[in-house]
Amino acid sequence: MQRMKQTTLNVYAWFERRLQLEGPVKDAALHQVPRQTASWWYVFGSAAFTLLFLQIFTGILLAMVYVPSAGEAWRSLNVLNHQIPLGWFLRGLHGWGSNFMVAIVLIHMAQVFLFGAYKFPRELTWIVGVFLLLMTLGMAFTGQVLRFDQDAYWGLGIGASIMSRVPWIGGGLVHLLLGGPIIAGATLSRFFALHVFVIPGTLLLFVFVHVWMVLKLGVNDWPMPGRVVRRETYMEEYHHLAHTDGIPFVPGAFWKDLIFSGAILAAVAVCAVVFGPFGPSGQPDPSIIQTVPKPDFFFLWIYTILSYLPPQMETPFLLIVPLLAIAILLALPLIAAEGEKSWYRRPVAVLLVSTLAVSWGVLTRLGTTTPWSPHMSAWSGDPLPVNRIHDATPLARQGAVVFQVKQCRNCHSVGGSGGERGPALDTVATRLTIDQLRFKVVTGGGNMPAYGKNLSPSEIEALVRFLETLHPANEPPAYDASRRAVEATQAAESAGEASRLAPHPGSTP
Amino acid sequence: MRPLAQVLLACLAALTAGCEHAPGYPGSPIVRPHEVADFDTLYDENCAACHGAKGENGPAIDLANPEYQALVDDATLRKWISGGMPGAEMPAFAQSAGGMLTDAQVSALITGMRTRWSRPSGFSGPTPPPYAQTQTGDAPAGEETYQARCSACHAPSQQQITSPDYLALVSDQALRSMIIAGRPDIGQPDWSHFGPGGKAATPLTAQEIDNIVAYLASLRNPTQATNYAPQQPDATTPAER
Repeated sequence: MQRMKQTTLNVYAWFERRLQLEGPVKDAALHQVPRQTASWWYVFGSAAFTLLFLQIFTGILLAMVYVPSAGEAWRSLNVLNHQIPLGWFLRGLHGWGSNFMVAIVLIHMAQVFLFGAYKFPRELTWIVGVFLLLMTLGMAFTGQVLRFDQDAYWGLGIGASIMSRVPWIGGGLVHLLLGGPIIAGATLSRFFALHVFVIPGTLLLFVFVHVWMVLKLGVNDWPMPGRVVRRETYMEEYHHLAHTDGIPFVPGAFWKDLIFSGAILAAVAVCAVVFGPFGPSGQPDPSIIQTVPKPDFFFLWIYTILSYLPPQMETPFLLIVPLLAIAILLALPLIAAEGEKSWYRRPVAVLLVSTLAVSWGVLTRLGTTTPWSPHMSAWSGDPLPVNRIHDATPLARQGAVVFQVKQCRNCHSVGGSGGERGPALDTVATRLTIDQLRFKVVTGGGNMPAYGKNLSPSEIEALVRFLETLHPANEPPAYDASRRAVEATQAAESAGEASRLAPHPGSTP
Repeated sequence: MRPLAQVLLACLAALTAGCEHAPGYPGSPIVRPHEVADFDTLYDENCAACHGAKGENGPAIDLANPEYQALVDDATLRKWISGGMPGAEMPAFAQSAGGMLTDAQVSALITGMRTRWSRPSGFSGPTPPPYAQTQTGDAPAGEETYQARCSACHAPSQQQITSPDYLALVSDQALRSMIIAGRPDIGQPDWSHFGPGGKAATPLTAQEIDNIVAYLASLRNPTQATNYAPQQPDATTPAER
């Protein structure tokens, strides 16, 4: 036992004499940090670092099976899901790891911003961090493309058409992105190279610089109202704080990082087991039109904004706003390198973060729930409520057939199923008289196209007779009072006419 | 082995063995739409909206009616599904006619309907008239039969079927099929019964059915079944009109 220990120590000493790593590692681990810095608020950066290594590890395993070819990728994902033991779990880990990483990076960024940690002398750490955020989002997007299914295919189409709007060089950029004018064989190879070599390589380099600066400049001190950052005095103040009221980084602050990173890894694993991997959805084939592609969670907000923007605003928004946002992020530490760090003295910062967070949440929710697309198969797949059929006249029942066959159902729901682009029609007869229904069907209005030229007079008549039955049992359909008055007069007149023409009893012919 | 290690090992074994039952285990790969061959999926996506869930209680004819299944042969079903029914609202579903279904999928629909909704003795009582019309009908005679046999239920206020608008949307063959097979899902009798209760009556003869269809066809207004003619652009402004 004793001899074994001695041998191990000898081997260690042999390596240490040549590598000389012990000094720097000890320096990094044992450097003093201000006591309050050992906070649960400071764990997000290390969690993002841990997730990066989870992504690298799971990504290497996935790359051993995945085939980056347009013809084979979709099939190889299904092989991973169903034929490789725990392949689905591995895909789940990588997919959920990606979502967690984007989330943690954003939280880390918001925390750094609110704690004023980007101020002198950590400006470059922040600037490198902005690039790390962009690269993380780039990894998320290229990863979504490698999951080569219908969402990936159409998402890539959207990405390419955004690129194509750049003035003068748009066409060239699309060519560069797709490896040709269309999404084809070269596209997936190009994204594989980006996702596996180019972006991760750069990302690792930037992470090294980022962490290097954290170690060299020290973890940000806890912001205190009134403790103002000045270029001339800050370094001295920080070292004073770290040495008078400091603890060694390991284990003083490090144990919280370890526990939080462990918890995040466990959360990723639980999500992978419970919710499973993402997709693949249907095959990425543009000839399959039965598809409703949506971007991944973190890009839903862009999808919402583009849906709401008026068309003439799209290009300026797409090309100017992202550049402006990145420029602001990069310039921030240079403009505001000094001053208060504490959020108690920085109301604008707090308002900004909360506004952005709420906007992002609202846009994401709208992107998840708003029915922008018609339900393209409702006309042939969604049955009508049974009582609407049983109680109908033959003409109204035939109108129900017209309602389905002419695809009204794709935009209008009845009985809770159907499209949601237009209003639900369950009680439409209480809102519109039969003449108004007819007018609406023929001329359209608002978002509704005019159907006057697409329906025969009989189809329109049958359709409105069906729509007229769509009212609750205890609420009569809307009617036109003047039309009733005219009908009553006409009825009285014709009755008078009839009685005048009818032979009077007892009269002789 | 220590008890803790044994428990852990057992848990690991259970987890690995049960991983296909984990809630996150992915479902089967999504097949291409034209490779779907399952009757229920095909029916629910393509037919249920008009012919009703499970083939009944829809606005169009109830395919789950065993009498209808006995009346119509496979070739005719295929003709209507693939190419649509002229003169009626039934659209064409086959790819050859601009629809989304392959021939194999149309076959799957026909086979599925037969296995689910056919009865060995589709018509339990008298032999029904043939599916397709065999001789020309006599409209005036048809009107007499209609008044005698149909008008009691098909009164103008309730179940009126003599409206030209209704008739413009229903083909002769659809009228004929409905007269013969009835619509049991909404309480309408077949050709051999009388009234919604379904009392047995003297069955209509093939000639009578031809005549009734001829009578109803004579009530159609041919212009109503066509779309409005496209307007010629004119130079007058709306105010001048």
